[in-house]
Amino acid sequence: MKIIVNGREAGTRDTGCALCGSTWGDYYEEIDGQRLFFCCNLCAKGFTNIAEGIKGAWGPFEVLTIDGSYSTGRHCTAMKGDQRRTFFVRFTDNADIEVFRQEQ
Amino acid sequence: MPLCPSCEIEAGDWESIASHMAGMGDSCHTMWLNRNISISRISPGELAVSLERFFRAEDGLGEWVRRKVVERIYSGPHPFIAAMQRPSRAILLGYVYEHRHFLTNWVQVLSSVIYGTDDERVIGYELANIATEYVNGAGPSHFELLLRMGESLGANRQDVLASQPLSGTANAIRVWRGIAKERSWVETMAAMHSLEFIADRRVKVLGASVHYFNVDILDSDLYTPEARKFLREGYEADSYHASEAMKLVEEHALGQMVQRVQLTVLKSLDAVSTYLNSRLERARMLEGSS
Ligand SMILES: [Zn+2]
Ligand SMILES: [Zn+2]
Repeated sequence: MKIIVNGREAGTRDTGCALCGSTWGDYYEEIDGQRLFFCCNLCAKGFTNIAEGIKGAWGPFEVLTIDGSYSTGRHCTAMKGDQRRTFFVRFTDNADIEVFRQEQ
Repeated sequence: MPLCPSCEIEAGDWESIASHMAGMGDSCHTMWLNRNISISRISPGELAVSLERFFRAEDGLGEWVRRKVVERIYSGPHPFIAAMQRPSRAILLGYVYEHRHFLTNWVQVLSSVIYGTDDERVIGYELANIATEYVNGAGPSHFELLLRMGESLGANRQDVLASQPLSGTANAIRVWRGIAKERSWVETMAAMHSLEFIADRRVKVLGASVHYFNVDILDSDLYTPEARKFLREGYEADSYHASEAMKLVEEHALGQMVQRVQLTVLKSLDAVSTYLNSRLERARMLEGSS
């Protein structure tokens, strides 16, 4: 899975947290067989919630772009082949899903 | 002596705080750095300089708070404020349904300031604020004006009063009540009245691209007289309120209390952002049902 956060590739220690792009912290989690870097356990939890939510609503995907922030919520576009779906996601302070809906 | 902005342990200097923060790596410390300093890792030396600069309040605590409000709420700006540049009926109703809960909590939390302080000026100030917001006296209270705006847009008063807050509003209220319970009255006072700077007319001077709402609304026939009256009252009152409150806070915030006030204000600004999202969420629900 390729992950792009606010326009920049992410998911490794060098490129930054797979959810927020931050290069602070040191937390890894394996998601679908891929070892991803996160700045903290809450970002890992949030990312897992997004990935699981999209898979449940649409199915597996190859590329995920995440645009937005913790305060305003994130527009997440999943792509596979030439198909794409965008979802709006916002979390509680605990990285639980507060809003999850497909856009357009 | 500076405090860690996340866990509030004390250290002799910012260098020690910076090493501590960079080394912690837990979600609380990391998120604080992400939200307030930068999402890019920097060396402990650079971080110490950034932290010292972040908390420096040379022109007074009130001005520091005002600047943070603009940075946090107006860089973007917040989607609710973007929507208030040309608000639909649903946006204004979303405002009504959620703000009804905010205002009740507002006076409850301000009451804790009164309970906590021995300064008669603070007691008088907060009582006057509570009266303006909540008690119908010479004129209608802010709460009453809010309900009238709702009615003018077709909402039923009983329905507004009986509604439950959305989860974001409830979470924000939990944060403010937690502040009232666990922090000093000085911090609580600052945390609450910092929110009034959001509607301050000076936000543009400090770098905001827009005002809290498009002020043309105040003279526009596209909006009901009740909606304009509600917005006008806030526009005229809030900046005066907040400046006065911050003067009292500055008098009482001495030594380490300065940084405690800063940290508590930042928590309150996170909460208000969540709360403003709920107004939008409510508007979306109302749009879907009408
Ligand atoms: Zn992160
Ligand atoms: Zn700490």
